[in-house]
Amino acid sequence: MKKLNPASFISVFILGFLFWMVITGQITAIFRNEASLQVIVAGLVVSAAVSLFSARFFIHEKAFHLCNPARLVNLIFYCVCIFPVELVKANVDMAFRALSPALRINPGIVRVPVDLKSEYGQAMLADSITLTPGTVTMAAVKDGEDGDRTCFYIHWINVESQEPEEAGEKIKGNMERAIRRIWE
Amino acid sequence: MSGDLLFFAVCFVALAVILLVRLISGPTMADRALASDCIEIVTDLALILFALWSGRGIYLDIALVTAVLGFIGTTIIGRYLGGEL
Amino acid sequence: MRIAVDVFIVIGLFFALAGTVGVIRMPDFFCRMQSSTNIATLGVLGVVIGGLIYAIGVLGDGGMAVKIAIIGIFNILANPIASHALMKGAYAHMKKPVDGLVTDQLGEDLVEEDE
Repeated sequence: MKKLNPASFISVFILGFLFWMVITGQITAIFRNEASLQVIVAGLVVSAAVSLFSARFFIHEKAFHLCNPARLVNLIFYCVCIFPVELVKANVDMAFRALSPALRINPGIVRVPVDLKSEYGQAMLADSITLTPGTVTMAAVKDGEDGDRTCFYIHWINVESQEPEEAGEKIKGNMERAIRRIWE
Repeated sequence: MSGDLLFFAVCFVALAVILLVRLISGPTMADRALASDCIEIVTDLALILFALWSGRGIYLDIALVTAVLGFIGTTIIGRYLGGEL
Repeated sequence: MRIAVDVFIVIGLFFALAGTVGVIRMPDFFCRMQSSTNIATLGVLGVVIGGLIYAIGVLGDGGMAVKIAIIGIFNILANPIASHALMKGAYAHMKKPVDGLVTDQLGEDLVEEDE
């Protein structure tokens, strides 16, 4: 059993309480002066109980890493500018691949080295790769002599190159550079 | 109250019916899990459009619960196939 | 306003149709999984953005807009986890070597570890 970290408890508590306020509609009720004290107190109790049990599974290190304007701006820039461009490009490509009569596919599983150190960065990169149609992350393993490097195994629908570095540049080039600016 | 939202909702339901082909004829268990996941997402979209057409927010709650349950179900089937459950 | 709503929903419908056709036509499980991502990303995003514009601009209902946004964000965040779990499970469940792959470096490395 991992030990409960106060910073991770507080961050999960804030997130759960915000979710409660949005779902029960209290956010809009506050502006109309109709907020009910009962609902808010119940939300405080429930989110404290939930985060007491589940905070140790969510956040391991650096709970307030994102409370920094530069990183926050980088995150918003990634979510609004860089990622949607990759998403739309891959989506259009995949849609025409599926709709074309010839069905041009060339599937394979390639191995790609990843240079990110932080766990959050690796998780974010794996999710981004899975969300772009055409590539799905299948496994992430520790590699190297003392296990300091991570490798992803990626299923790719159109294998253009079997060399690890070149395939990595084609699959995750822009996204990895942007994610490194956020988390490191 | 406008007809085109209802028309789009019916289109999404038709897509869900087409996906039933893969659910019935899928060779492996994973194909069926994938098809049921896709049907769940498409039904969610149809529910959103139907809620907007009828102007009642109650259908959005159903869509939210369906999304959560479909995610949990697909994850558990994947874990079971991998032998981790 | 209504034209923008219809354009976004038609974009979503087009990508959902492409994903459906892909799920029906693709020859093996992994390629079907790639096509289903098509439904879950731009299919969901198109309908959710169109629905947000309709809920705010035409209906003027803030609560419905917030719920639609939560459904969209949840779908986008949860779908990669589900598809990763299903993909890993299906690969472990399959007979090796898997047919139809150009290269299978994961299978090669697993065989090396066993020896």
